[in-house]
Amino acid sequence: MPSPTFLEERRKAALEVFEREPLPTWRRSGFWTTSLRKLRLDELEPRRYDPVSSLDELNPVVSEALRDEELAGLIVQRGASTVYTQLDPAAAEQGVMVMSLEQALEEHPDLVERWYMKRLSENEGKFPAASAAFWTGGAFVYVPRDVVVDKPIQVVWLIDEAGTAQYAHTLGIVEDGSKAYIREYNLAPDFEGQALHAGGFELYCRPSSNVKLAHLQDWGSGEVHDISTKRVEIAADAHCGWVPAVLGGHLTKQTLDIVTHERGSDMRQNGLYFTEGNEHLDIFTTDLHEAGDTTGDTVWKGALTGESRASYEGLIEIVFGAQNSHTYLQTHSMLLSPKAKADSIPSLIVKTDNVSASHGGTVGEVDEEQVFYMMTRGLHRLEAVRILVEGYFEEVIQKLEDDRLEEVVRERIAGKLTEAAEQVEDYIAQR
Amino acid sequence: MSLEIQNLHVRTEDREILHGVDLVVRKGETHALMGPNGSGKSTLANTIMGNPNYEVTEGKILLNGEDITEADPDERARAGVFMAFQYPATIPGVSVANFLRMAVNAKRPDDPIKVKEFGQLLRQNMDLLRIDPQFTSRYLNEGFSGGEKKRAEILQLAMLKPEFAVLDETDSGLDIDALKIVADGVNALRGPEMGGLIITHYTRILNYVRPDFVHIMIDGRIVREGGPELADHLEEQGYDWIREEVGAGA
Repeated sequence: MPSPTFLEERRKAALEVFEREPLPTWRRSGFWTTSLRKLRLDELEPRRYDPVSSLDELNPVVSEALRDEELAGLIVQRGASTVYTQLDPAAAEQGVMVMSLEQALEEHPDLVERWYMKRLSENEGKFPAASAAFWTGGAFVYVPRDVVVDKPIQVVWLIDEAGTAQYAHTLGIVEDGSKAYIREYNLAPDFEGQALHAGGFELYCRPSSNVKLAHLQDWGSGEVHDISTKRVEIAADAHCGWVPAVLGGHLTKQTLDIVTHERGSDMRQNGLYFTEGNEHLDIFTTDLHEAGDTTGDTVWKGALTGESRASYEGLIEIVFGAQNSHTYLQTHSMLLSPKAKADSIPSLIVKTDNVSASHGGTVGEVDEEQVFYMMTRGLHRLEAVRILVEGYFEEVIQKLEDDRLEEVVRERIAGKLTEAAEQVEDYIAQR
Repeated sequence: MSLEIQNLHVRTEDREILHGVDLVVRKGETHALMGPNGSGKSTLANTIMGNPNYEVTEGKILLNGEDITEADPDERARAGVFMAFQYPATIPGVSVANFLRMAVNAKRPDDPIKVKEFGQLLRQNMDLLRIDPQFTSRYLNEGFSGGEKKRAEILQLAMLKPEFAVLDETDSGLDIDALKIVADGVNALRGPEMGGLIITHYTRILNYVRPDFVHIMIDGRIVREGGPELADHLEEQGYDWIREEVGAGA
């Protein structure tokens, strides 16, 4: 079946950008660089896989992360192929759709055309262009108006072989007055060798909707390069609470934007990251206020071990005329190793008056006074540090309001701390 | 069984603060260490606990005869020494209940306390200190009032049941009601199994927790020792007479 014309045109435009643009290098103020020069793009390829009839046939990282939870809908993409989809009959009854984007294009071309890449553009660079040009499978989530979807709607991107190039696209729409929880996991087992996830994610929260969104990224110890743009648009009087948890990836360059697009819209973003080994993380978030009477709150917390590097840059932008907007951004990172390097850069562009926007950022180390206090209660130094780091993340983790995912995130963080135990202990003792 | 301080000299980065302190607290005894601000009382408390910001240049700290001068704070804690902090640290993201359970289990790593037993013990001690049950789900010391922090410290004392407890200015910042509650708590915990060292600037807590012995510290030395009557004398006369006497004797 031929693709609709609008898609073909978009793919063609994207291909032109992809072929024209060189491999990007992101530089900031001279001392921070995210470079892809070690990525051997020619050696990576989209890999096709047959559908599976059960999650057990997939790499165990998937079922380990999902933990048998009852879901309203599930779509799993392995490499370049949608391999598993499932929709709870009750959700289907409500009109909820969870399917591959390819299938949605066949069955609901008008609906897809209305929203597809409204907020994403192939002109944003080589990799946004690559995912727009080459995506296959894809994920489509649609929640019709005035329904409450109790269980999570789950999208999984799985890479389980070195040499994989995964071009991803997720399109989500939650219509007027509806309530839903959408989760997207990026998962890979540990493997040797390179892989690429170039992803586009767009979610539209329609008027008066109430949407919870969580991202879990854990690409394991392989050389997975993750270059993604995720963007959420919030319409009038709608609310979106977004928790991105970035827990592992060889090189990650993510752009995470949230747009309060119409009056009364409200966003919360509570992000966390933990880098280890020689991981390189570069996150840029934008809290964009396009209309007045909008509110926002962004909190990011990170921790670093090993020789990892993490840069978090958070921008608040309030456009001309978006009066009476109120927003706040804060970012913290905690260094747990002398060789790790963190940057936290909040910034503001405010083009209108009568708004409140403020920001703050810290890069810190473990507080020796807190460690001493806990040790006087009999806790070993390392245990004290572990508790402090877990406590530090707790503020963000609790925002998930999702027992299973909270558990997954806590376990991952505890695991990373245990792995880095010796190094962390040395570091704390030396100071 | 005793906590024994022998000829203790302690310095911070820039100067010596304690110039040879001797003090013995036996199990079952309650001592008060009094003195004006800046006399070195908190330095002694922190040194007993092993705060790395204080360096012992001479002298020893013995716990039941064993030298713990070089021990890490957690080793001292597990051996039975406790300090209630004047200004306890805030531990974000860790609830009072969780923290207490971890602290209780630190002393018994091979036999963690059962959930039910812990719950009972916690309730019992919270009743003793008249603490609201919801208190335990709050993050430790985060947003606590001065009185709540002090009560949380005494709650830890009650839960951990140390052999020796140092209470560093536990009375400061408490209104009289809060002071009475804390004093009642401390009195309930006194007994043959615990030795206490109450560090205070004022005498008012000693009206509720009567010490067996009183030591007065000025300028990094213990200059007077006696029974509870010494505290009464201070209540009436302040510290100046001691300063004068010490000055005259020198």
